Amino acid sequence: MFNSENVLIQVDNLQKNFKNIKVLNGITTQIKKGEVLVILGPSGCGKSTFLRCLNLLEEPTVGSIFFNGDEITDINTDINKHRQKMMMVFQHFNLFPHLTILENLIAGPVKLLKKSKEEAKAKGIELLKRVGLEDKAMAYPNQLSGGQKQRVAICRALAMEPEVILFDEPTSALDPEMVGEVLEVMKSLANEGMTMICVTHEMGFARMIANRIIFLYEGVVAEEGTPEEVFDRPKNENLKAFLSKTLNPILCRT
Amino acid sequence: MTFKNNKKFYSVWILLILVLAFLNGCGKKEKQTEHEIKSVKDLAGAVIGVQLGTTGDIYASDYEKEGAVIERFTKGADAAQALKQGKVDCIIIDQQPAKAITDKNSELSILDEEFKKEEYAICISKDKSKLKNQINEVIAQLKKDKTLNNIINNYIGDSTIGKFPYQSPKDVERNNGTLTIATNAAFEPYEYMEDGEIVGIDIDIAQAIADRLGMNLIVQNMEYDSIIGAVQSGKADVGVAGMSITEDRLRSIDFTEPYTTATQVIIVCKSGNLVETSILDSIKLNFLKDNRWKYLTDGLLMTLQISFFAVIIGIVLGFIIAVIRTACDMTGKGKILNFVCKTYLTIIRGTPAMVQLLIIYYVIFSSVDVNKLFTASIAFGLNSSAYIAEIVRSGIMSVDKGQFEAGRSIGFNYIQTMWNFILPQAFKNILPALGNEFIVLLKETAISGYIGIMDLTRGGDFIRSRTYDAFLPLIAVAIIYLIIVMFLTHIVSCIERRLRIDV
Repeated sequence: MFNSENVLIQVDNLQKNFKNIKVLNGITTQIKKGEVLVILGPSGCGKSTFLRCLNLLEEPTVGSIFFNGDEITDINTDINKHRQKMMMVFQHFNLFPHLTILENLIAGPVKLLKKSKEEAKAKGIELLKRVGLEDKAMAYPNQLSGGQKQRVAICRALAMEPEVILFDEPTSALDPEMVGEVLEVMKSLANEGMTMICVTHEMGFARMIANRIIFLYEGVVAEEGTPEEVFDRPKNENLKAFLSKTLNPILCRT
Repeated sequence: MTFKNNKKFYSVWILLILVLAFLNGCGKKEKQTEHEIKSVKDLAGAVIGVQLGTTGDIYASDYEKEGAVIERFTKGADAAQALKQGKVDCIIIDQQPAKAITDKNSELSILDEEFKKEEYAICISKDKSKLKNQINEVIAQLKKDKTLNNIINNYIGDSTIGKFPYQSPKDVERNNGTLTIATNAAFEPYEYMEDGEIVGIDIDIAQAIADRLGMNLIVQNMEYDSIIGAVQSGKADVGVAGMSITEDRLRSIDFTEPYTTATQVIIVCKSGNLVETSILDSIKLNFLKDNRWKYLTDGLLMTLQISFFAVIIGIVLGFIIAVIRTACDMTGKGKILNFVCKTYLTIIRGTPAMVQLLIIYYVIFSSVDVNKLFTASIAFGLNSSAYIAEIVRSGIMSVDKGQFEAGRSIGFNYIQTMWNFILPQAFKNILPALGNEFIVLLKETAISGYIGIMDLTRGGDFIRSRTYDAFLPLIAVAIIYLIIVMFLTHIVSCIERRLRIDV
């Protein structure tokens, strides 16, 4: 099953404990190449932890993860090599404040992929053009707005030419008027066939770009399916409650 | 603040300090104690100045029971200074150094009544009985052929001074290794500095002994109370420093046959005989005569060298320790290394730098012959590394954890992430604290005189021991330190400004 050419990431019985608290309680799933997977769930259900386990920023307590057929949870695997193909975009951007935007973009390609500076710079400028920020190449991160920073962070991920990008609530820290510009970039990536795993609270967006949605509840996959199945015909009671709260927040309160 | 303004700001401060210093120098010296000494009997209840660890110190201490207060100075010149300022009532010291002191200070005089008579001998480790016998034979020879007499007369006695300079025979074959002697060159005429060289009766005698034994003479200068330790630990073969045989000393060390007899005398201050010298004469005496300013410039060079190497050792070691410590905090790995680092920090931060310096010189490097500059750089470097490690660690912890995750998620390993992303940000945050640490380090090197290094402070001390003037040499040393520190502060603030990214 792992050897199937289409499977990029295979997750088997993933469990994660923080001290004595069980956060992930046995998750098994697979992500195919070109797939856009959106992970939904109430806060504290382990969405972010799941995502961070995929590139081992959190070390799984039990279970195994295969990336391109290699078991990255194996202690002998060089995780740094795999991470270079598996970028992450953070909620708080995490750009390097002491480097210019362009330097942020070329650090990985130059130092890890051993590209020449010129090549990396040209590619960086091209990526910035794509998100409409080429005039900010020489600026520093703290001179940018939140939306701009997140677009740069996506460029930084793309500069490494990854096989998959993990989005960890990419719009949660943004002012509402800046959410659109970031989602726009993500949408265009999805349309180009980039494999994406996305933790988000943007329901409309999730419905629009996802091929598949996983609903996590108390550390397990409570429901899984296409956007239509999950949004229009939810079976799980917890999912129904979650959807009614998030889609009709005001109604729920009254 | 622009550089120009800074300069103005600094010069105002320098001017202020100079004015204060001059006012202080011109102020009247008031006598602080009122106990007049006319004979040995008056010593009870008096404030007595002595040189630390000398026989004068040992004998004077007997009077403590009778209400005397003993002030111990590391140099005879310091004691003379205190006597002139009325901080002590009298000084008990060897006759010859006393003559040297009273010759240069007309307001001081020696009491006719002698305090104690004593014999000087060379101290030597108890395990070196063979060398001791050889030296004893040579001393007997030197006494017999009058060489010893001539050497002493060359320094003592109005009509004979300078008439019998000792010269090594030309045809000596020095195949028997080296003879390292420990001394304290602040005890004229037995040993003192002249034109940057250590000279005196003891040095000539040691040279004569080395000549007869076919050895090369090496003179090590140090504090008087460090000499016995140096001989015991093997840093020096023998101690030749106008040292008399006492029971206490015999417990830890052996002595050769005495080579001369000396008398302990009492120096007092003649009342109402203060001579004021003009500031210009003072400057000439302290800095220009015999090129004494060279003690300061050479000392400054030494201070800068020690500080420079110590800073490099401190930074390298400090960063390594900080990275190990944070790696353990973040990942929970490397617990043993972390424990080692923690223990190191506890020990280094829990003991005084001076004790560390002495331990490194006299204990760790006791049996190896190492360069003193090297020893001091290591000692101060190790000391500083502990403080730098904690500064750097706080800097690393001040960087947002997300930065670390960003670096790791791109595929950089721990060290690469540290080096490329975390440390540059941490460095910016800790620069003021680091600058401060370097300033502290620079000033801390002032204690390197304790292992006999001629640094800036010690250079000033030497001028003081020759001119019996405390004011100008000390102020000059202070001003030089001040200027270097201000220069350092300026450089640090320049770097800080460059690193600051303005929005």
